[in-house]
Amino acid sequence: MITSSEIQTFIEKIPPAPEVLKETIAYIDAGELIKAAHAAKEDPALTHYLQVLVNKPIYGFKSEVHDVSQIFGILGLSRSKQAVYNYLLSLLSPSSWEMFGLSEALFHELQATLSKRWQDILHHLKIEDKEIESAVIMTPASIIVCEALFKAHQDDVNLLRSYKDIDLSSILLKLAGKSVFEISQDIAQTWNMSETIMTLIKLSSGLHSHEDETLNTLGKWLHLLLFYEFSQGVYIEAGLNDFIAFNPEYVEEISDEFMELIYK
Amino acid sequence: MRAVVKDGLGIFNPQGFLDGTNTPTFLTLEDIQATKQLKISMLLVSLKKVVFFNKNGLDVFVKMMTEVRNESKATIGFCDYDAKKFQAILKFYGDDINFSLFKSQKVALLFAATNKEEKQNVLVYNDDPSQRSSMAIELFDNGHNPIMAQTKIEFDEKKQNKDNYNTIVENTFLGLYGQKIATRVTGNAIIYTVSNFLDAEVSETFDFSYHTNSLNVGFRLFIFDAYKVLSMNIHAVNFFSKLASTAAEYNANFVFVGMKFDKTPISFKEELEDAGFMFFEELDNILKDKELLKELGAVSVSSAKAKRLLTKSMVNELPRFISASVTTLEMMTNATAEKDNVKINELVLSKTEGMLASSIGFYGDMDGMVILILPYSIAKSSCELLLDESTDDIELILDSLAELVNIVGGRIKTLLADDDINISITLPRTYEDVNNLLDIVSNTKGVQVDLKFKEEKFTFFLTR
Repeated sequence: MITSSEIQTFIEKIPPAPEVLKETIAYIDAGELIKAAHAAKEDPALTHYLQVLVNKPIYGFKSEVHDVSQIFGILGLSRSKQAVYNYLLSLLSPSSWEMFGLSEALFHELQATLSKRWQDILHHLKIEDKEIESAVIMTPASIIVCEALFKAHQDDVNLLRSYKDIDLSSILLKLAGKSVFEISQDIAQTWNMSETIMTLIKLSSGLHSHEDETLNTLGKWLHLLLFYEFSQGVYIEAGLNDFIAFNPEYVEEISDEFMELIYK
Repeated sequence: MRAVVKDGLGIFNPQGFLDGTNTPTFLTLEDIQATKQLKISMLLVSLKKVVFFNKNGLDVFVKMMTEVRNESKATIGFCDYDAKKFQAILKFYGDDINFSLFKSQKVALLFAATNKEEKQNVLVYNDDPSQRSSMAIELFDNGHNPIMAQTKIEFDEKKQNKDNYNTIVENTFLGLYGQKIATRVTGNAIIYTVSNFLDAEVSETFDFSYHTNSLNVGFRLFIFDAYKVLSMNIHAVNFFSKLASTAAEYNANFVFVGMKFDKTPISFKEELEDAGFMFFEELDNILKDKELLKELGAVSVSSAKAKRLLTKSMVNELPRFISASVTTLEMMTNATAEKDNVKINELVLSKTEGMLASSIGFYGDMDGMVILILPYSIAKSSCELLLDESTDDIELILDSLAELVNIVGGRIKTLLADDDINISITLPRTYEDVNNLLDIVSNTKGVQVDLKFKEEKFTFFLTR
């Protein structure tokens, strides 16, 4: 169905981060938001993306925000970096979705919701770390990976899954020796993302643990957050609920706390 | 979301959160329609990967499953939960609970009307005495040995000796139970359990397609376990007589065990004997007499259904049959097949050593049998996707080989449906010793396609 060489070809085709984005991220990392905004303005698509993103209802701004400097100012350092990473990921997303019932707008909505809820979780856990805050944006990369690799094999996948409850990531792992999370890690590496982000991508699969207790706990929150979002009606309809396996035991110790936070 | 079907059990596997808002989106109208058409004896929703649910969420599944039960008489309910979730469901539904709850799929299989499990020692506990008894009766009907604990203390004590029991049943509840006649497989015999008054309704609760499939895949001994039959009327006698006569071309044997005639006219027994039924007092008179069991259940090659020739329409559809088999194998092994040659002849194999085989029958607008013979290594690697881990356990490999052939059958069914040819597929049968298969298809011509996977030979044979 899918071979390891197909995966390798897919990874090799991932474009490096454009210079404008690298420059923008470098300024954000240096705490220079004005310079970062100035660099970002060089890319009209990024500007448009930021405008659409920040004016989504989940951010709750009363009046529309247009200027990039203003947007970065509102978002702050961490969320500005997240937004740029989100844009970077959106460059990889397909123009039309076949495997999943998603659209460009719906995928952006998912990115925005995940980012916002991740912020709430980190605030609840009293964690302030730019890298950790950015980690959430690479989790939807796994959706793009599945879309790209499986769209030509939908019938095979449906047939197989009518006989066995098996998720796409496990199919990939068994057939080609790599899970979607590992491929997402490869993408993060191509874009020179930090070790923390790559570790959290791995932990969000719900299949691994880490010696660093904080990262371990964050992996659990991230895994549960993914499944909270994938349990929303619109994403169930899009086929996201069962494309990766949920591990309830992994999140058992934080599930009550998560529920309190989300449903408060 | 579609149910995963295995061993007559349909299971939905939702993940994450189930509430009144999101759960309806798990099931589209097409999903519900497809579920109603499944030939299953039990339909369950697994809560294994559900972290949160409320009553509104469960209600969506209950409503759909109730519709399925009303049409197919299947047992419905939830499975794979912990004690906390079990108590929550009981609390949500109180006395209105009309579905079943099984702690795990393993426990559910013990209660399924169709089961192929060996006889198991099962420790049973429920604080409600009527539940305890119902479970013990169902388990006994399904060929198991239930051991009831009367109190929680007794249960906790007995539970310590885990080695004494194959399965421990707790946190389980039998709701409105399926009405199908329980079926189990023991060696080469199919055992149907019948009880109470047998009248015209027996034809509604008897699974004809299961029975026909069993005949098609080679079962020849059918035992009716009638210990709990109080009496039968002429309609039931007619039903059994017809059943025996329609299976005459297969040379099948039908047996009643434990049937008493104190409340049933003895003339009915004579009528059934004329139709070909044999009567035994005890089930063990047959099951423990290996010679008799072998004789009654043996596949009689020469007297089985008359051999028939391939039809033109089957040959026309040959590319679809081959495509379904090859692409499935390619999908499962991630290797490409090379076609060696195609010929119409009796099945000829260059070697039988180290090979496994599996067959699946089909009937409807077209009828016949697809046989796959493949080396152990290919069978093993092609089944790895279906197994949770790599294994050398031949039973597991044969079991998943049967599933693989089921997938091939499903694919053939879909491909033929594109040409408006509607077929049903039978239960698959596997052969550890390929010579047994060669005996069954001896003197039968078919289309043989020899293929190569990873330099190993694989044979496809289509026959009638």
